[in-house]
Amino acid sequence: MAEVVFEARGVSKYFPGVKALENVSITLTKGSIHALLGENGAGKSTLIKIITGVYRPDGGELFLDGKNVRFSGARDAMGAGIGFVPQERNLIPRFSVGENIALEANSAHPLKRIDYATINAEARRWLKMLDLDIDPSTPVSQLSVAKMQLVEIAKALSQRSKVLLLDEPTASLSPHEADVLFGLLRRLRDDGASIIFVSHKLEEVVAICDTVTVLRDGNNACESRSMAGVGRQDLVRLMIGRSEQIPEWPERDSIGKPAVLELSGVSTAIGHRDVNLTVRDGEIVGLYGLVGAGRTELAKSIMGAFAITAGTMKLGGKPVRIASVSEAIHQHRLGYVSEDRKQEGLILMHSVLENAGIAVWRKLASRLGFLTDRTVRTKVLPFINKLEVKTPSLEQTVGNLSGGNQQKISVAKWLAAGTQLLIVDEPTVGIDIKSKAYLHQLLRDLSEAGTPILLITSDMPEMITLADRIVVMNDYRISGEITNTRDYGAMSEGIMQLIHADAA
Amino acid sequence: MSIDSHSATPTPASPSGGRVSGNPRFYLTNEFGLICLIVVFGLIFALLAKNFFSPFNLFALGRVAAVNVMIGFAMMVVIVTGGLNLAVGAIGVCGAMFCGFLIQVLGLPWPLAILLGLALGAGLGFINGFAVVRSGLHSFIITLATMSIFFGAMVFLTRAESFRGLPPIFSAFGTARLFGFVSPLLIVAALVGVLLSIMYRYTVVGREMLAAGAKPEAAALSGVPVGRTIILCHMLSGSLAALTALLVMARNGAAIPSMAGQLGQDWLLPAFLGPVLGGTLLSGGRASPLGTFLGAILVTMLTNGLLLLRVGEFWVQACLGVLLLFAVLVDKARRSYLAHLKVA
Repeated sequence: MAEVVFEARGVSKYFPGVKALENVSITLTKGSIHALLGENGAGKSTLIKIITGVYRPDGGELFLDGKNVRFSGARDAMGAGIGFVPQERNLIPRFSVGENIALEANSAHPLKRIDYATINAEARRWLKMLDLDIDPSTPVSQLSVAKMQLVEIAKALSQRSKVLLLDEPTASLSPHEADVLFGLLRRLRDDGASIIFVSHKLEEVVAICDTVTVLRDGNNACESRSMAGVGRQDLVRLMIGRSEQIPEWPERDSIGKPAVLELSGVSTAIGHRDVNLTVRDGEIVGLYGLVGAGRTELAKSIMGAFAITAGTMKLGGKPVRIASVSEAIHQHRLGYVSEDRKQEGLILMHSVLENAGIAVWRKLASRLGFLTDRTVRTKVLPFINKLEVKTPSLEQTVGNLSGGNQQKISVAKWLAAGTQLLIVDEPTVGIDIKSKAYLHQLLRDLSEAGTPILLITSDMPEMITLADRIVVMNDYRISGEITNTRDYGAMSEGIMQLIHADAA
Repeated sequence: MSIDSHSATPTPASPSGGRVSGNPRFYLTNEFGLICLIVVFGLIFALLAKNFFSPFNLFALGRVAAVNVMIGFAMMVVIVTGGLNLAVGAIGVCGAMFCGFLIQVLGLPWPLAILLGLALGAGLGFINGFAVVRSGLHSFIITLATMSIFFGAMVFLTRAESFRGLPPIFSAFGTARLFGFVSPLLIVAALVGVLLSIMYRYTVVGREMLAAGAKPEAAALSGVPVGRTIILCHMLSGSLAALTALLVMARNGAAIPSMAGQLGQDWLLPAFLGPVLGGTLLSGGRASPLGTFLGAILVTMLTNGLLLLRVGEFWVQACLGVLLLFAVLVDKARRSYLAHLKVA
């Protein structure tokens, strides 16, 4: 048995009215990559916060190198050797890469001059380890999201952590970048590092992890067991308590159906050129492309956030000019579920009722603009119930709900509004398997029931599960379209060819 | 404190659907904390200064409080958007001076003059809001500039002279006493508070103001015309400021250019004290008219009580400053607590 570096034994944590963790254990050995899995709300983030010293456990003990430790805060844990790469970016944008990496370290003397040469040399060493070709004096704000992620890892490494905790490190990385990261993690492991890897992408977990701990409803579903012989389906069963069901939907043919949305030769103020796109009644059209291909921007242009400068946009056969998002929603009954749930999709500090009702307030109000909670509640409640949103009450603050439930509310908002077309942007990012399957079923049902959907997703399996047709966008232009046969290999190859046909 | 019951009716802490776990219980709210403080200080002052609860002192206190409450409202409706309006004083004085000018120089009937005064306030607020939305600059900078512009223009146009030829109804209103100790000014302030509460809770416009303030991006993508809504908030702020100055005018019996100090700056401290003490988030998205009302009452009561105790005028100012600082710190602590609960 390898040497144990870190151990949490019988840890519990309670919040008012909620048991977040109960008697949970995890053991990390030297030179291993340990997967920490669990659905949203299973207690994963609570455990992470306990390990990184943000929360103090209400019960149980932590051991680092065999010694009982109590962290008084995040810095304390960091000092003790717990390196943490959070899911949200945590760098200072206007500082240089080097300064960010040295941020926690350079507290030698408050008045001493900062030695930039040393800082940059040190930073370069860590960047090199990650195969990152960045000048340490570049401001972080000029980096791509993926590079920031890697700088964050370099920062954690530079603190010579005994334990390195990575929370969803691949969420913003392209497949290639993720591969580079995995290579690095394997190298670190072979050098004796102990890594905790948190991810929703089970394929990654199966590929690179040695041991796994799964949480379910605040308890251990399995504790630090070897990944040998464990497959994706086993992990799913551990996480949700049953096997995953992959829907078998028949192909649909909507060629003859009337077009709800029709873009022809559309150019926009933010750079789209000659975009042709049709969404017909009862279908789900997928819009695939790499990050930065202009898909979200096209969605927002359809919603009236950016001006259409050339070409025509037709809704239900009639040409329209939409001057504002408000007009798109209230007059043309379009709906947009944003990819950025926390910034653009929901008002986290407001209640479930307010968020679900915001798009129908105007419709429900009396002529003088008055409306009561009861009116809104009557309108919204059926959809909240239908989507099985788990919330103690409609007055609950949305920020307190899990990601899956938040996403259900951002969909419920548009169901209540009764849209004629729904644009759904990355609907299942950061959402657990159960809710994801549920949302997929919901989108399928919605399209069957007559609300066509324009689906933007970077999740290829999701695209192939849901879309009837897949339109590929590259560099603000449409590079082609294929009908989805639901044959994963053929489809992904076809999509990739369309993307690279342009690049070549 | 018979007035509290007026504005206590629309408190957002009592939704029709019964007790809910999402909202803090009433005794955990700012409003409850303020009521406690008001009662505690009321008792202290009653014990130490025997004339504190005399009808005349209550009347005088209420009259000052009414103005402070109104100034707080004028600021609160912009704080809701995450912005602020430093020009409340300047706009208010402009509105009152305009009203005085219309009555004294043009001989307009006073109800029309009042309406036009309020309209000027809304118009100046529109300039603020339009500039903020169009330029994308923070309202701090815009209203700092317009504060000087509005006040300067007013001084230039009126040659800094007062309008004293007001019909007697103004001073009658300013000096009237209901039940021997309640100023009608306070009734106006309470009424405005009730209307604001109704607006934020029962109208689309009010809800959209809160949504646009809480998260403009999300509100915009949910169909709220954010720019227009922010302009509307500034217009509301302007007309409330003008209404406030009209109340001061009634109290003074004249429209005086210096009624809110140089550039209207005397209003700034009470403008922030009420809303911040009352639990309106400085970052926007949440408003509490009841809290603002109670906050302003508390501040006025402290000032009044300290003066009755013959604490020097300068110490009163220092005490108020300390109180504002304290309130801001508590607000920050509260916000980090909310953030801790993954709310903000």
